[in-house]
Amino acid sequence: MKKLFALILALALALSVMGGALAEGNVLRYGTETEPAGFDPHTISSHASLRVMGQVYNQLVDVNEALEVVPELATSWEISPDNLTYTFHLVDNAYFHSGRKMTAEDVKYSFERILNPDLGALGNSSSYAGDIDTIEVVDELTVKMTLKKVNVTFLSNLSSSYCSVVDKDVVEANEGSLLRADGGTGPYTLGEWVADNHVTVNASNNYFNEAEKATFDAIEFYVMTDASSRLNALRTGAVDLIVADTAMLDLVNEGDPIQTISYQTRDYVGLFMNCKRAPFDNEKVRQAVNYALDREEIIEFAYNGQATVSGFIPASMGHWAVDVSEKDYYTQNIEKAKALLTEAGYPNGFETVITVGLEDGIRDMGIVVQQQLAEIGITAEVQNEENAQYIDDWKAHNFDIMICHNGAGSDPNRGVAFFFSSTGSANIQDYSNARVDELCVLGTATTDTALREEYYKEAINIILDECAAATVACPMAYFLASPALQGYAPNASNTSNFAGVTLTK
Amino acid sequence: MRDYIIRRLLGLIPILLGISIAIFVIMQLIPGDVVSGILGIEQTPELRAMWEKKLGLDKPLIEQYFSWIGKAVTGDFGESFRTGAPVFPEIISRFKISAELAILGCVIAWLIALPLGILSSLKRNSIIDRIVRVVALMGVSIPNFASATLIILFLAKGFNYHTPVKYVGLLENFGTNMEIMLLPAFILGSVMAGSVMRMTRSSMLEVLRQDYIKAVRAKGAPEKTTIFRHAFKNSSIPIVTLIGMQIGSLMGGTVVIEQIFSIPGLGQLTLTGITQRDFPVVQGCVLFIAFVYVIVNLLVDILYTYIDPRITYS
Repeated sequence: MKKLFALILALALALSVMGGALAEGNVLRYGTETEPAGFDPHTISSHASLRVMGQVYNQLVDVNEALEVVPELATSWEISPDNLTYTFHLVDNAYFHSGRKMTAEDVKYSFERILNPDLGALGNSSSYAGDIDTIEVVDELTVKMTLKKVNVTFLSNLSSSYCSVVDKDVVEANEGSLLRADGGTGPYTLGEWVADNHVTVNASNNYFNEAEKATFDAIEFYVMTDASSRLNALRTGAVDLIVADTAMLDLVNEGDPIQTISYQTRDYVGLFMNCKRAPFDNEKVRQAVNYALDREEIIEFAYNGQATVSGFIPASMGHWAVDVSEKDYYTQNIEKAKALLTEAGYPNGFETVITVGLEDGIRDMGIVVQQQLAEIGITAEVQNEENAQYIDDWKAHNFDIMICHNGAGSDPNRGVAFFFSSTGSANIQDYSNARVDELCVLGTATTDTALREEYYKEAINIILDECAAATVACPMAYFLASPALQGYAPNASNTSNFAGVTLTK
Repeated sequence: MRDYIIRRLLGLIPILLGISIAIFVIMQLIPGDVVSGILGIEQTPELRAMWEKKLGLDKPLIEQYFSWIGKAVTGDFGESFRTGAPVFPEIISRFKISAELAILGCVIAWLIALPLGILSSLKRNSIIDRIVRVVALMGVSIPNFASATLIILFLAKGFNYHTPVKYVGLLENFGTNMEIMLLPAFILGSVMAGSVMRMTRSSMLEVLRQDYIKAVRAKGAPEKTTIFRHAFKNSSIPIVTLIGMQIGSLMGGTVVIEQIFSIPGLGQLTLTGITQRDFPVVQGCVLFIAFVYVIVNLLVDILYTYIDPRITYS
């Protein structure tokens, strides 16, 4: 027994000595929550993959925090007067990680790959590159794209990872798949991938943009699904940066060598009511639900107060946003809610089901909303669903009320048309309004920003007034980092930009 | 004996076939599919159709199953729907990690359980026996996710220590590998030790009561010989059975411990496969785990004949 005790003590001491050891070299160690699903920028939408691909691939253009389109692989571009032809002039010093120079041929190849129906690329839709009709190589560094129809969001769409420029030779050498190969031009090259443990990206030595050059020798992305081990790894210096959520903030103690980094997302959470299912096919019922919600209370309970009351085009979208505080129904009014229910023919309320997914915030929201709806006589059952089931019901529009966490994108066309036009593929609540549809078409047919703002604001107001969704809040996003991490400033346009970030060890 | 082993191995075929059909049916019955996972919010009917065609999910279910099993018998378990990586090599590389963890865990469990179990049976109802029984009960009753989280927190707060986060193989760097594996193995081992200790104690007590032990003692054999050669050996059949079952289930990976310590074992692979509805991965993993379980149990059965020569298989 004594020997065993001595052994355990010796082990603990040895561990404490080893604990002081730091990683060798200038490496950023990043603790993330999920396993990536491969690294083909054209076919992969997983967050964990996007984080890594953001270091490895470039697009023609980028969108900055102020939602302006800025150059990336294209130094400049011209748009024809009819808004159908885009001519891009490319940088002349971008190299793929294979060492080959990137040219207009590669841009053509990349977009042809996206448009090839056999690949099933995510960018093959109007929201991204799907409107391209022809691609023409003008010279080595100039490429011309002609659209089938005017789409003023086209340029900003090209900033998506789904529109990355890829190396034809690498794609062909890997039988058409980039899932495990590196066909990028980015500041880092794809290194070792030990599934369910880590992915490494290594600094590229000939990145074209001096200002955005890699500042680390490597970045190691660790898969640490367990939140508390992620936090403890940060606490002990085993990692330098971790993905966090509001619940984790409470676990950080005073004196812990940890800094909190946050940014306002362009996401929103809200209740989507099925407009094709009684009683939510009645606008008055949807309005009653809107009046029943105390959004501040929801934010307090589900997001520890770290969110702002918001519509579906959040304030972080700048001039496109509509201020919901001016809307009467964004302030709780139980009497009015009850009156609306009575008018709709439900004086004693009704029974319904609130469908929620695995995300902590929306699961907690379900509970608060359930209690708030009870105040106006609506008896709601909260149905917790596993992710795949949730997506299935989302896809099949199979719900009474579904709580969703959506991204508003970088252009209002995404936030309005994708989620609320009759043909929008994310219009899961089956909302339909002819004027909104018309405005969505008008909004993509002109480049006049003032006019577009007018169109979208009209659409947003109609959607809000008809309560196509009862949106609640725009949450903050969090990272926890070692105090040694300097210069990391994530924003809603880019959370994985490590240009200029350093570790002062 | 050889015939017996061959018979047992042949018996594996219907078991594995049955399991493969069961998994296939279950994977079809549970809601959600891999295409939804790949496309997420971007899915449109056209994109969906393309992916279903690409993954062969547009074919009739029966055809899907037979095309899979047809390849599986030749050792080709297909490719992961999500990552495109061949399934079988991935399973083997993950199995090595889970097996190392399982073996380390077992060794730690035996080192704790066997001496304490024997001691406890010899000093029945003494203070040592009582302490051992309480410790064993704690080992069995504290769930490993709780002890793992508490130990990680204790080491982080008390010693500013965390096991290395970057996995390194046993042959790549023995020292670092041990540093990664010993703590999770100790947690697994301490849970296993509880039940092995209890089994050793009760089994030893039963044997120690037998007349032949009295006879051995009466003829003046040294106590050491009495305990280890006569009593322990004869009491070890139920212990070996228990250990066999434990190794069998540990070889399939221990999802919780692997997740907490970010160890890329078979358990994690299976769980990720299930949550992503990655059928070839799940099917491959489950069949492989079943295979290992049956083989380990066969080895245990063979081991019986060495422990007790009276046992023969024909």
